[in-house]
Amino acid sequence: MKKIEAIIQPFKLDEVKEALAAIGVDGMTISEVRGHGRQKGHKEVYRGREYTVDLLPKLKIEVVVGDERYEELLKTLTTAARTGKIGDGKIFVYDVVEAIRIRNDDRGDAAL
Amino acid sequence: MPPCKDPIRALAERTALVDGMVERCAGDLLWPAFPSGMTLLAVGGYGRRHLFPYSDVDLLLLVESGRLAQDAPGPISAFLQSLWDSGLRLSHSVRTSEECAEIHDENIELNVSLLDQRYLAGDRALYGRFAERLPRFLHAQRDPLMRNLTRLTRERHEKYQNTYYHLEPNIKDTPGGLRDYQLTQWLVRLRDADAAPVEPTFLFLARLRCFLHALSGRDNNALTFDAQEQAAEWFEAPGPAQWMREYFFHARGIYRAAVREMELSESQNNSLFTQFKDWRSRLSNADFTVARERVHLRVPHGLDADPELALRLFQFVARHGIRPSSETEQRLIGLLPQLEEWFATPRPIWPQLKEILTLPYAAEAVRGMHETGVLRAIFPEMAQIECLVVRDFYHRYTVDEHTLVTLQALAYLRGNREPAVKRYADLQSELEDPALLLCALLFHDVGKGAGNGAHAEASLRAAEPAMERIRMPRPERDMVGFLIRRHLEMSAVMNSRDLQDPATARHMAGRVETVERLKALTLMTYADISAVNPTAMTPWRAEVLWQLYLATYNELTRELATDRIPSVESDAPEMRDFLAGLPTRYARTHTAEEIAAHVRLDGVFRQRGAAVALEKAEAAWRLTLVTADRPFLLASVAGTLSSFGMNILKAEAFSNSQGTVLDTFTFADPLRALELNPTEIDRLRVTVERVVLGRVDVRQLLQYRPKPAPPSRNSQVAATVSFNPEASDSATLIEIVAQDRPGLLYDLAAAISADGCNIEVVLIDTEAHKAIDVFYVTSGGRKPESAQLEKLGEALRRACGGIP
Repeated sequence: MKKIEAIIQPFKLDEVKEALAAIGVDGMTISEVRGHGRQKGHKEVYRGREYTVDLLPKLKIEVVVGDERYEELLKTLTTAARTGKIGDGKIFVYDVVEAIRIRNDDRGDAAL
Repeated sequence: MPPCKDPIRALAERTALVDGMVERCAGDLLWPAFPSGMTLLAVGGYGRRHLFPYSDVDLLLLVESGRLAQDAPGPISAFLQSLWDSGLRLSHSVRTSEECAEIHDENIELNVSLLDQRYLAGDRALYGRFAERLPRFLHAQRDPLMRNLTRLTRERHEKYQNTYYHLEPNIKDTPGGLRDYQLTQWLVRLRDADAAPVEPTFLFLARLRCFLHALSGRDNNALTFDAQEQAAEWFEAPGPAQWMREYFFHARGIYRAAVREMELSESQNNSLFTQFKDWRSRLSNADFTVARERVHLRVPHGLDADPELALRLFQFVARHGIRPSSETEQRLIGLLPQLEEWFATPRPIWPQLKEILTLPYAAEAVRGMHETGVLRAIFPEMAQIECLVVRDFYHRYTVDEHTLVTLQALAYLRGNREPAVKRYADLQSELEDPALLLCALLFHDVGKGAGNGAHAEASLRAAEPAMERIRMPRPERDMVGFLIRRHLEMSAVMNSRDLQDPATARHMAGRVETVERLKALTLMTYADISAVNPTAMTPWRAEVLWQLYLATYNELTRELATDRIPSVESDAPEMRDFLAGLPTRYARTHTAEEIAAHVRLDGVFRQRGAAVALEKAEAAWRLTLVTADRPFLLASVAGTLSSFGMNILKAEAFSNSQGTVLDTFTFADPLRALELNPTEIDRLRVTVERVVLGRVDVRQLLQYRPKPAPPSRNSQVAATVSFNPEASDSATLIEIVAQDRPGLLYDLAAAISADGCNIEVVLIDTEAHKAIDVFYVTSGGRKPESAQLEKLGEALRRACGGIP
């Protein structure tokens, strides 16, 4: 099993969710996060004061899938989240040792 | 499971069944050991014959003396065990009459359970003595009992955030549940008032509780999402959302009755001195008195003859934040049919409503109007969203409650110093007319009652006739209408557009068109999201919304200097000439009538060299000037107004491609000189004209200007002067935030002109003691050099501090 953690642009969420649903991935965790990579922040001037936006609002999506599905998921996710500009985000992939459904003790792929 | 049509009967039958079991068991196991000196009493819900399936069976073993039970514990244990083994959930206690007639601060349930005591079996003489003693005890200890009951209930309400709106309520414990119903019954009895007959609300909740207990096979009162779906089916409702709406109607009725009874009890619990002190409250006026933090009508029948008194009452609430008393609320509720009829006739009541919405406790006043039905009497359109449920895990409140919470969200902003919130608070203090935003919030979701999806347009359709009925002026209706129609726009852009993309700011700027609308719409979005549920407005969301506001604000102000009206298709050449080259903002912020008036002034200017119009504009005055642009022009007019003692609140200066300028000054007349001496109006107008034409030197006029008093240390605003050469392609933007004072605009404009700069566009605003002045300046047709700006910066900072 693989855990995919994707940091994406907030406005891409609906598109990503729809694309994942289309390949049968419905379950995911979404968090509101702030940070910056190469995009850095930017400066705005408001009311005579400089306003530094150093941490940009992003969304983090976490999904766990079986090994046989993760390449397809990565492809779908990158396509849906991409605009081609700096700031599109990053995807990290982790190996998952075990998954357990608390309600009935299902394990492995059955728990996903 | 067949629906329980008559819960009272079903519960009584179940109680009788359990009575029989208890009596048989006692006959077999208790009475042989205790032929006298012991009585069995049913107490609590069992005592009042409301024994729900799987609920506790509350038994009191009343004993002659404590030793009796201690000396023979065996038969009592056998009796209790036998009942447990029969499947009853027993909750028992063994007490003497003396113990029952004591106040148990830590075990108020015991005292309360005795209110519903009922003889079951055993020593009748013992019960007779107890039954004689109990009423005397209850009467003597009425105040501490009521106090304890009220305290317990307030603690319980607090645990549930004092609201009956919960996605998955506990129908017993949440406010508006069965415990609240019972509380009102107890308080009424303790006050020796007549108990109300069994109400439909109780029947509804009793049926529901039977259903929930039967569904889960235990004493489970949680109305979960799943249970709501099954209950809707069982109660034969069209759907779970509609059925939950009915639930909330009942819960609301019970909750309000409980709060009313608690207040009545508390008012009886006061010392004469407190009441005497309260009655002298200095807030009382000709219409109202204030006692124990509640507003009372001075003449209770006054409402019958004067329905407008209801509006004055809520103006009082909005001004002082003191709620109407229960009696006043009941009187309003009783008079609703007359109020509905009175408000149904179109009347110019907008000024009164506007005042309510402008005062500091507007949110509390509107909530009071909603709870008494007065809001619905004024705006019957609101009825469609009463208790209307949006059934998902995201929406915590019903639509009407959400609407009220939006107003609270704005009230919460006021004076908030937390940095992430303060910026919205500042924005709110900059609103020209906050009542319009609140009015738009009142109506923004009314269209959800129509139930066809696109609710913003439906809300607007509902609001239009309402605004017409209360005679709201057209420009204000336009603003309210704009906010209602566009209230989802910023949320949608936040979620679906790249905020870093300049096209997003352009798109949003095109939608809102003016900075004033942008501010109001940003606050509306902030309030709307905040009122979805208590955690919906995360710091992350607040940041995203703020970035959208910033980008749009900068886009709107940037275009001031660059976006000019190119050419206008008009049959009238004078209109064409006047408009060509004015900033696009001018066309957006002025009505066709205003533009026509300016074109007429332009005609006068061409004949006389200057045209000045002076008119009263609500609480302030407005001076409009059309003339040829020249250095020191703005400073001269600002100085003239100051020399007359006028306080400039707002100013705008635009110039067209022919070099004609249109300056508008909105100013206050603190000494009411113009109002009291109409000849002064002409004198001011003529003086401005003479100054503009160079016939009078403004410095002479200012010679005798009184020195302004220095502001108090607490209210002082630190002056900031900043330059932004990037804001426009052709001019440099100067933003000045400073402590406002008479003559400030003259000093600033004079400093800019003295530096050889030309003022292209001016936007002046005043928020309380803070002046926010924006100038777009050029020098020799280009952006000024940095050395020139440095010198100008020093001059402006000196001017902010009142140093020449």
